[in-house]
Amino acid sequence: MRLPKILFIAWILWFALTGCSAKRDVIVPSQASRDLILLLPDPDGKVGTVHVATKGGSQILDKPGYAVEVEDISKPPSVPRPVEEKEMGDLFGHLLSAQPDPASRFILFLFYFEHDTAKLTHESKALMAEVLRTIKSRKSGEVFVVGHTDLVGTEGYNTALSSRRANHVRGLLVSNGIKPNALLVSFYGKARPLVPTKDEVPEPRNRRVEVIVR
Amino acid sequence: MNLIGPRRLIFFSVLVFLLLSVTWEVSAIFASPKVGTVQKVIGTATVVRQGKTIPAIMGLEIWENDTLRTDPNGYMGVVFSDDTLLSLGPESVLVIDKFMFVPKQGKFSIVLRMIKGTAAYLSGLISKLAPESAYFETPTASIGIRGTKFVVKVEEEKN
Repeated sequence: MRLPKILFIAWILWFALTGCSAKRDVIVPSQASRDLILLLPDPDGKVGTVHVATKGGSQILDKPGYAVEVEDISKPPSVPRPVEEKEMGDLFGHLLSAQPDPASRFILFLFYFEHDTAKLTHESKALMAEVLRTIKSRKSGEVFVVGHTDLVGTEGYNTALSSRRANHVRGLLVSNGIKPNALLVSFYGKARPLVPTKDEVPEPRNRRVEVIVR
Repeated sequence: MNLIGPRRLIFFSVLVFLLLSVTWEVSAIFASPKVGTVQKVIGTATVVRQGKTIPAIMGLEIWENDTLRTDPNGYMGVVFSDDTLLSLGPESVLVIDKFMFVPKQGKFSIVLRMIKGTAAYLSGLISKLAPESAYFETPTASIGIRGTKFVVKVEEEKN
């Protein structure tokens, strides 16, 4: 009765060992990853996020100069790692200098509000003159006014509050001579914080209206 | 007894089909197909549209479903109508699978598919106003974009 058992264990060991070495043989040549995604800061210095997903999993990139690599659609993306400037140059060469001029793009202004109100903060009141100047100098026919709140309170309440904030700014623009049909108002309540926080955390930088002038 | 016989049924379905195809064509004619403009070309680059290859020059209109290609010495920069900036490095192929920017109707969508090469992407208003509708696809991954700049390198799929 003992012999078959030993044989059985030997068989498992043999299988495990060869299985392992076979696997190692595949991994050791370390096939260079196929795709690489590298996050960079926006021209205004802000950094957004990209979400890289394969069938095997996903990673979030939110630090500038960090990259994830993907070897295969069925495997998860690698953990983000910093990329040296030299490597960046080797990989992407003159690509960035071929980018069209960003100067002609939209300009974004942020108006901040007092907690739980549609009242502008003192600093933000002073911003209106510059916004009006920009709209007039660009002869802009498209100005987006987008309302947001921080994460304190219910979704329904914050949606309404973000609407009041956006419409307050819209009213100010209209009373300063901007044509209503150039203004596109939208609001998202607590759904799109500028600074991600946990629910119910007060955050002044999220109580805002974004004015985007094209 | 048989009010809607098989012949009538066929006649009506053909009629409905014809009407639908006419209205479809009309709406296709009235919607401007332009989604962006070529704003930079170094070396040789081309745009493949409905099977035809067009040399990329400054000011060339870019349409949905166009394929952008660059030669081994080519670079191309494109500005989309929502201010998204895209540039391609040498030996690159990218397809504009989807582009919609109609703020007054709240319609926002950008889906770019990279077949091979290198690209730099600076997001425009679509990923600002509707972050869940901006995607960059590679043969292995789907990249969701929330208002930012990134570069990507894609190796050609080997069969």
